[in-house]
Amino acid sequence: MDLFLQFLINGLVIGAFYALSALGLTLILGFMKVVNFAHGELYMLGGVIGWWVTSRLGLDFFSGLLVVAVAMGAFGWLVDRFLIERIRHEGEEAGILLTIGLSVFIINTALILVGSTPLKVAGPVAATPLFLGSAVVTENRILAVAVCAVLMAATHLVINRTRLGRAMRATFQDPMAAQLAGIGVANIYACTFAIGTIIAAAAGMLLSSIYSVQVSMGGLVTLKAFIVVILGGMGSFAGAILGGLLLGVVEALWGGYVSTGWVDVIGFSIVILTLLFRPYGLFSKRAERA
Amino acid sequence: MLQRWNGVAMCLLTAMCGLAVAQEPVKIGVIEPLTGSVAYDGQSYVNGAKLAVAQRNAAGGVLGGDVQLVIEDGQCSPANSVNAAEKLIVRDRVAVLTGAFCSSATAAVQPVADRNRKILLSGVSSDVRLTEKGLKYFFRSAETDKLMSKAFSKILAKDLGLETVAYVGVNDDWGRGGVKNFSADLSEAGVKEVMVEYFDHGETDFSTLLAKLRAAKPDGIFIAAETQDGSVLVRQLKEFGVQSKVFGVGSWATADFIKLTGEASNGIYAAVPYVATIGGERNAQFVKAYSAAYKNSPGKYSAAGFNALNILMDAIARAGSTDSDAVRKAMLETDYKAPNGEYRFTDKGEAYGFDAVLVQISDGKLNIAAQTTIDKP
Repeated sequence: MDLFLQFLINGLVIGAFYALSALGLTLILGFMKVVNFAHGELYMLGGVIGWWVTSRLGLDFFSGLLVVAVAMGAFGWLVDRFLIERIRHEGEEAGILLTIGLSVFIINTALILVGSTPLKVAGPVAATPLFLGSAVVTENRILAVAVCAVLMAATHLVINRTRLGRAMRATFQDPMAAQLAGIGVANIYACTFAIGTIIAAAAGMLLSSIYSVQVSMGGLVTLKAFIVVILGGMGSFAGAILGGLLLGVVEALWGGYVSTGWVDVIGFSIVILTLLFRPYGLFSKRAERA
Repeated sequence: MLQRWNGVAMCLLTAMCGLAVAQEPVKIGVIEPLTGSVAYDGQSYVNGAKLAVAQRNAAGGVLGGDVQLVIEDGQCSPANSVNAAEKLIVRDRVAVLTGAFCSSATAAVQPVADRNRKILLSGVSSDVRLTEKGLKYFFRSAETDKLMSKAFSKILAKDLGLETVAYVGVNDDWGRGGVKNFSADLSEAGVKEVMVEYFDHGETDFSTLLAKLRAAKPDGIFIAAETQDGSVLVRQLKEFGVQSKVFGVGSWATADFIKLTGEASNGIYAAVPYVATIGGERNAQFVKAYSAAYKNSPGKYSAAGFNALNILMDAIARAGSTDSDAVRKAMLETDYKAPNGEYRFTDKGEAYGFDAVLVQISDGKLNIAAQTTIDKP
């Protein structure tokens, strides 16, 4: 029973991280219908740039996070305007090929620039253990979960409460009507991709302060993010968060009571089952097939 | 990918030089993980290999020509490593091969090399079974898990005063082999096994595993993990307040590992075949040359790459040709003076005669706690 509490806490912490990693993907995949295989690389870039600005430019963690957000936002905007724009109406395969190419390009460019050494971002607080009864959790994780929550809330507000968010929702419901209503559709697409990129990069920097970042780690992040998005339903904001938490808790319990060696099996099993029985995701209201 | 362009650039360069010196270069194929979670370690191996080749070429090369490395990224995965081997043998027509780092990947490359009658020398893969298959052209210049655990289990059990140990390894042939061998030898020395767990390459969060470790409260924790996974794991051990003594195998005895792990590295033990702080004139020269070339002191895998390439180039020079049977004969006569002892091979292609050290990290320094020579198995 003591261990159960510990596994549950671990699962919720990891789940929050999964949710944040997947949030950017669910925006891009659900709204823009771009199957973004470069998502993990955007995450990795966030970690690497975060490492660079904190250790080389000497910024503190949160200023660093701001720099990462601005730089990666601009990067995402440019990627959409100059690359994704060209294949916007070519179907999903073109997007898949483009983002796979983009991920290969980003990985190898980063390899030239920073090499394959794992990098550690200095966190805002130390990893002091906090004991909650018999369970233990470190301070930096609690802070990271809090930052996760803030980022999620901010994204939610941007989409539901701002002019930009309203324009985004209109554009993805009906681009033609949105354009007739005077919305700069191309700019909205680019902004959506930029927001997705910012969330991915922020997650990358945040988690690199707890774990470490390495240039070729993106593949695993992309995989986990896809699992969460499929679980939660594409484009579903609450789904991504619940899906992330669910995956984290299930993995922690499986690892705790069965074996940590085969933990990834559980994620993929859930995906297969979800696709078979609830193809729109566990938390989606639509149950019929398109 | 990058390495491929390097390869192309090197081809062009040697092609141009070729006009002046007519003599064909001797090509050596290298398969190492340059991306993925052991990329850092694979890159160290390549760095050591490049240094050995640069030194040899500056001293006149082999068989009257330069030695040329053709480097492929095997990603530590069996499938990619086999593809790399096929490409190196068929397209690049390399004389000999070295690789493929992870035991699982090397095991997959073995039949390809054997079918094509190519010498394959692994400077890293430590799974015991690799040399037990009766393959004529396979050699290994690395310590096996078995030799390491035999060399250090008693010392560890006695010096650390261990009664119970938990075993944690990366989920592949190397990690499982390390756990199996150390647990067998430590059990023989009277140490009780309380837990065995594995984790996947590239794992970032070990909190579940750590919760189990905290509950098991072992005296010592044995870990088989490479730089990336190992540094994260050791750091999280300390973060979660696990007090057990930590020891293990993997490339821990390096400055980069200490930098990544920070204070958490204090007090841990690593059983390695090489550390930059071992004595001797040959090592001093190697450390100096390596540091000058890469602005970083060499670790276990830098030395492995350096040694493997020197052993191969020596054998080709002694054989007087790149014919596989002649090189094989010369390989068996190897008596190579490495920075860490002398390498010889058994008939099965297993290396012995080199040193192994037990290193303790304290206050960011690598202190040698015990040193021994790997005997003929």
